[in-house]
Amino acid sequence: MTTIVEARGLTKRYRGVTAVDSVDFQIARDSITGLLGRTGAGKTTLMHLLTGQEFATSGTIAVAGGNPVENAGVLQHTCFIKESQRYPDDFKPKHVFAAAPGFFPHWDADFARDLAAEFRLPVDRRIKKLSRGQLSSVGIIVGLASRAPITIFDEPYLGLDAIARQAFYDRLLADYAEHPRTVILSTHLIDEVGALLEHALVIDNGRIIIDSPVDALRAHAATIAGPAEAVERAIAALEVLHRERLGGFVSATVAGITEQVLAEARAAGLEVGPVSLQQLIIRQTGGTPTEHEEVSR
Amino acid sequence: MTTTTATDRAGAPAPLSTTPRSLATRVLTIVRLLFANPSTAIWTPLIILGFILLMNVAIFAIILANIPEDGETANVNGGAFFLYVYMLVVAVMTINQAFPLSLGYGSTRRDFLLGFGVFAVLLSIGYSLLLATATAIEEATNGWGVGLGFFSTGVLWQTDWWQALAFSVLAFLLFFSIGAATAAVYVRWKATGMYVFWGAITVIVLGGGALVTWLGAWEQVGAFFIWAGVLGSAAWSLIVTAVCALAAWLILRRATPSQG
Repeated sequence: MTTIVEARGLTKRYRGVTAVDSVDFQIARDSITGLLGRTGAGKTTLMHLLTGQEFATSGTIAVAGGNPVENAGVLQHTCFIKESQRYPDDFKPKHVFAAAPGFFPHWDADFARDLAAEFRLPVDRRIKKLSRGQLSSVGIIVGLASRAPITIFDEPYLGLDAIARQAFYDRLLADYAEHPRTVILSTHLIDEVGALLEHALVIDNGRIIIDSPVDALRAHAATIAGPAEAVERAIAALEVLHRERLGGFVSATVAGITEQVLAEARAAGLEVGPVSLQQLIIRQTGGTPTEHEEVSR
Repeated sequence: MTTTTATDRAGAPAPLSTTPRSLATRVLTIVRLLFANPSTAIWTPLIILGFILLMNVAIFAIILANIPEDGETANVNGGAFFLYVYMLVVAVMTINQAFPLSLGYGSTRRDFLLGFGVFAVLLSIGYSLLLATATAIEEATNGWGVGLGFFSTGVLWQTDWWQALAFSVLAFLLFFSIGAATAAVYVRWKATGMYVFWGAITVIVLGGGALVTWLGAWEQVGAFFIWAGVLGSAAWSLIVTAVCALAAWLILRRATPSQG
């Protein structure tokens, strides 16, 4: 693994608010990383620090080995697509696409044209007149066609319908396979991108609370459901992330599972199922439901 | 579903080079962005200019037809002056709208401002050439045939054409730089910045005027401009232009998306 982004003790404080709180993490070159977390958790600030748009209060961030702030050598590799990107008032999408090759040496104009057709983007209409979803697709097209070695999407799908979002995920994955690059994707729609992500960085209250390959996260947890007594016996030694009760039945989300535990649970006639990435992250960032259950028990 | 990382398939790729592309390439990228849609900076003002000119010619023709042969006419109105103010607005809008976009696309603040500088210089020269040419035509055609002084603003254009041209370029640059400084204040401090900025400008201008009045020095002020001459006065404006450009740079280099 080659490291492309490395943060050490990275902190960003605004007047009275610590948006990013002494985080340490690395991002592997040519991978797709999900930056996940609740609204206001610090995702956008982190991405702004990564692209040199915000100045760190303390700590360091290195991108391609250098500090990104005002560093043309580093920034030439980055493309940052923001949720609420503003464009010059008189611009049409075609003007954005015409100016893009200067910023992105790997720009693929044919690919951009292709994507515009797929997203049904009217390239000759003023951006001010575009719908929210069409505006988002301008960003997505630039992000994909830029083929920037470090491409960052910050909630890029606002206003896009499910079909267009799926098209985005499919195109991203296909193009990534052909032109490997580092993609950092911040999103609320965790399950939608679950299949896309190789690595998850979960940020909450400015701190990184999960930094793990997605496979490992999934393999690590499961839901075990069945009659309360049998479930409780099976999960006695495990870390319980969440417990749901319905009459005499219990469905528990547990971490720290092994093949043996699962085999025993199945043998006991319990239902064993996978945990979605979203469930897992909600359980680990929410916290309260588990405690509540423990207290009421 | 799992995705294999690309490195698994292709072996370790060559490290990303952190040698920046040439300054000229980076700056031209910004210039290209700013000219990507020339409607605001070029076509709209030209259409307005043409329209006002036509209106003026028509009005002067009507006046001319209704006064006796030996009657007096005031023939200088300097209608083209709006272009300078318009370019100030272009500067404000361009920076406010294109700066965040350029940063997202991997430009540095410095490269953006240099690119904007080239954009401003190109437009200043272009519009000055246009005005000088239009003035020459106006003079050759006796004010578009109706004695209209739309471009010939009296004394100014009666100097050598190259002096007038230089004056115009410097004046455009002055307006661009004031616009750039204003936009920088807005980008960095938003509405609060605007209140403080315009408040301060009002105080300085009124204060300066009051001071000159109190000292009874208006005559000296007038004498200075006469002494400096057309081109000299414009050359002195370079100080203001430089101060504004420097201010724009100092303000924008610490601007961030979260401010304001």
